[in-house]
Amino acid sequence: MLFTTVQFFLFFAVVLALHYALPRAVRRWVLLGASYFFYMMWNPVFVLLLLTLTTIDFAAGVWIERCTNRRRKKLLLILSLCANLGFLGYFKYYNFLAGLVAAGLGLAPGALAFSIILPLGISFHTFQSMSYVIDVYRGQQKAIRSPIDYALFIAFFPQLVAGPIVRAREFFSGLYDWRAPDSEEVLRGVMLMALGLAKKMALADQFAQLADAYFNNPVAHPGIVAAWTGVGSFAMQIFFDFSGYTDMAIGMALLLGFHFPVNFRRPYLAFSITDFWHRWHISLSRWLRDYLYVPLGGNRGGKWMTYRNLLFTMLLGGLWHGANWNFVLWGGYHGALLAIERALGRQHFEKTPGALVYPLRAVVTFALVCAGWVFFRAADLGSSAFILREMFFGARKGSVNVIPIWLRGLTLAALAIAIFEERFEWMDRLATRPAWAYATMLIALLLCVEMFGFFERNVPFVYFQF
Amino acid sequence: MRAARVLLASLLGYAALEALIFHSGLYASIASPDSGAGLVDTFLDNERRRPLDGPNQVVAIGNSRMGLFPRVANKLQSETGYTFATIAVAGTSPRCWYYMLRENDPDRNRYAAVVIGLDNYDDMELWEDHADREYDVGLIAARLGLRDVGEFAGSYETWAHRWLAVRGIVFKGALYSRDIQNFLLNPAARLASVSQSRRDSHIWFHDYIATSSTMDGVSIDWSTRTMTVPPERSAAQKRAYEITLLDALPPDRGQHEKYMHLWMGKIYELYRGSRTRLVFVRLPHGPLVRPDFPPAKAHSSVRELAARGEATLIEEHLFDSMERPEFFWDELHLNEPGIQQFSSALAREMRRVLGPPR
Repeated sequence: MLFTTVQFFLFFAVVLALHYALPRAVRRWVLLGASYFFYMMWNPVFVLLLLTLTTIDFAAGVWIERCTNRRRKKLLLILSLCANLGFLGYFKYYNFLAGLVAAGLGLAPGALAFSIILPLGISFHTFQSMSYVIDVYRGQQKAIRSPIDYALFIAFFPQLVAGPIVRAREFFSGLYDWRAPDSEEVLRGVMLMALGLAKKMALADQFAQLADAYFNNPVAHPGIVAAWTGVGSFAMQIFFDFSGYTDMAIGMALLLGFHFPVNFRRPYLAFSITDFWHRWHISLSRWLRDYLYVPLGGNRGGKWMTYRNLLFTMLLGGLWHGANWNFVLWGGYHGALLAIERALGRQHFEKTPGALVYPLRAVVTFALVCAGWVFFRAADLGSSAFILREMFFGARKGSVNVIPIWLRGLTLAALAIAIFEERFEWMDRLATRPAWAYATMLIALLLCVEMFGFFERNVPFVYFQF
Repeated sequence: MRAARVLLASLLGYAALEALIFHSGLYASIASPDSGAGLVDTFLDNERRRPLDGPNQVVAIGNSRMGLFPRVANKLQSETGYTFATIAVAGTSPRCWYYMLRENDPDRNRYAAVVIGLDNYDDMELWEDHADREYDVGLIAARLGLRDVGEFAGSYETWAHRWLAVRGIVFKGALYSRDIQNFLLNPAARLASVSQSRRDSHIWFHDYIATSSTMDGVSIDWSTRTMTVPPERSAAQKRAYEITLLDALPPDRGQHEKYMHLWMGKIYELYRGSRTRLVFVRLPHGPLVRPDFPPAKAHSSVRELAARGEATLIEEHLFDSMERPEFFWDELHLNEPGIQQFSSALAREMRRVLGPPR
């Protein structure tokens, strides 16, 4: 049940109606039931996996908190992490590792592989679950005593399959101090849903057609222009797709009275790779920083240790997206760029440059990010190498005209909005502005979906595969 | 609550703007005449603008196989006394025909007869389930209004298709989205093409001469079920011929019969009590006739209407003599000699069926 389908909107309308019509005491049950129903619409069997991990981490949290013996506490934490990583490892990485072992033993590539279906959203909910247990272990989070509340934290449908990865304290403070959204929040929620829908259907799904055409057979489209057009299309697709999904998730949560953290802050306006990671998939960056980079030592062990930690964190961040060498390279590439920026002087890459230099820096950063997207999207390493070669050394062939003029116009409009938003953050404050301003924006977004949406088939969200 | 007021105002504003652009005919007036919906619009608009030379009008409807061409049939006007027109559009189906006829003749008094071209009188099962035919939404939903939502969407069998039908009628912008995107690629060219089509398309369609190429050389050995095709025909052409002329027929699940009863019944209801006579014509099957057609059904939709005296079926085998390779240019469509012969014969038969003109 994709967020962009009429089935989902009907489902959400029913959930919203029940949520506000029923007494407060049963609302959590309604949300939990709705969340499991939402998950089971994809594959009913995998709800057992969700329930198993929920039970393990719920119990782990309670036992860790009760336990006074530090070693036993640690053992419980390790057991919980092993369960989470064990499931994640089996479903997501087994075949990758089996392929490596098979290659090492000289066997056929698929000799040790199993036919494994990747459970929807497993990377997101295991990370969310692990962060809870770690926080309880660290004493930063009280163990949750209600299994219903905990299950809702893991399965809450707006963010179950593709985030944002919400911290336990953020979620439970919203749950325990729940209040009905006020007018401003309702208006913000609706606007975010419309914005997300427009980003997904009118931009991401349209760019997806161009990106797919290029990446499905890059050799058929040689030349520098074709390469940048194809890769640029994917850059647009993945941004509008993922941030569109996130906007809808945050908007839906807001309408249900929950506040989710921001996940994107105009990442393609970043002036450095360091800045990019402060703006792109913020909830994952935050997770990696707090649960991987900092525990590894962060920047406390001198510059070489910092570079090592950055590289290692980003390599694992890449691997989190999927089990193949392309994702490892993508993570490593970003880790290396972050390390290089750190080596050149952190202050140059964290402090906003002057107005004259900013556009140039933003363009260079965008180009570097695009080069990274090649690893992310290309079918294999060979294709990645071919595309990168074409991007930087290809013949001057091809035409940007494969991107229809209206799509270029919409993208430029989105860029103008982003630049304006960067300065004034007016979108967030639109709900407090005069009704005509809000209505104009909402009508424009709805018409944009209607006239420029891609209706020929439902295009799944890119991050659903992670 | 402020949110409710603002959201209501926004939704009303959206609905008003949507209605202004898409439900008022404003966008339809610049929609591509080359699209399926554009073609339906063009035919209906041309027919509505055609000056009538009296009450003895006959309109033909059907899909691309309907070979009644007014330029041929009207040559016999002095003999038949009737003027023939056509709103037969390629790709349309009985569901479309009902709405096209309703749009074309809102007062039900324009025609002495409507002649509907059918592949057979027996509601023979098709591989494609017409009840859930998505293509119909694109062809006809643009012309439908909110009052049609229940009937049109309800005629689909799956919820997914019903939703597509509702979306097509209510959110016409979504229906036109591909057309809008194409329009924006070159607005000036589109406006020129629309204007030219409005001015000249009735002449193009009226004067259109079909190809005279034939299916000569195509033959089937029914004992071995093998087809022989002249070497100049491509593999894709041969496969297309095989699909229609040779491949197994679908088992009769009653699906198409139910569909035909529904839409032929609606077309009958449309003209019930009017002066318009409904006439059905069984079109020549094709260049070669397969021997495995199922037996006639006494209770098919049109046979039942005819038995009740509510419609006329033109003699089923009247055009059997045309089911020969020299009258077809492909496995389905009449060529120019075929059209000449079919149109003339049908015009004369209509005169016989309808009697002398008023």
